[in-house]
Amino acid sequence: MGYPVFASGDVLNASDMNAVGLWLVKTQTIGSAVSSVTVTSAFSSSYDNYIITISGGTTSVNGSVSLQLNNSTGSTYNVAGNYGNYGINVLTYNPAAATRWNDVIYGGTVAYSGVINLVSPFATRATTGFSEGSSTGVFYKFSLIDTSTNSSTGFTFAPVSGTMTGGTIRVYGYRN
Amino acid sequence: MEKPNIQIDDEIREMTDEEYQALLDSGWTADAPDTNPISDPA
Repeated sequence: MGYPVFASGDVLNASDMNAVGLWLVKTQTIGSAVSSVTVTSAFSSSYDNYIITISGGTTSVNGSVSLQLNNSTGSTYNVAGNYGNYGINVLTYNPAAATRWNDVIYGGTVAYSGVINLVSPFATRATTGFSEGSSTGVFYKFSLIDTSTNSSTGFTFAPVSGTMTGGTIRVYGYRN
Repeated sequence: MEKPNIQIDDEIREMTDEEYQALLDSGWTADAPDTNPISDPA
């Protein structure tokens, strides 16, 4: 047997399991009409780097959804990159530092989804990453940095306006 | 105005007065008009 091809009844050897690159750390279902969703115990020493996905829900307002790490609340968050409307335009965005990443993804009243990669949110150094989000007709594609060196174990999604309903947040860790 | 709910893992509860004030101070509104991302992502 050789990873990544397995057959029914194969023994899962340590060498094969240790070669698995991505592990599901946490799954969180989003409730109804909540103004924020905090996910705890997502980051730890087990992984340096993470993927967060959010999908399957809606927001009450078409607008940005923010992301904040739980132990970093100062004006240390920068976001920059491109956004726009599919088939119409691609624009640039580079606002001043804020107390959260205000624009990681774009919520939608019909549907929205996003993928956020984070590098070293648990480590005592700056957290970097990138986000990609799509809503009906709108896209966000941003680079991220939080220059705080605080170690965070969780995060909060919060629409800049309105509330979130339904959908699922999943956190995956890249095997070190 | 009714305070919105917040969610922490699987627990959903109404915001405290202090949490709600902090939310309002952040610029949050319950029903903002649709944001035009062409002019301002935030």
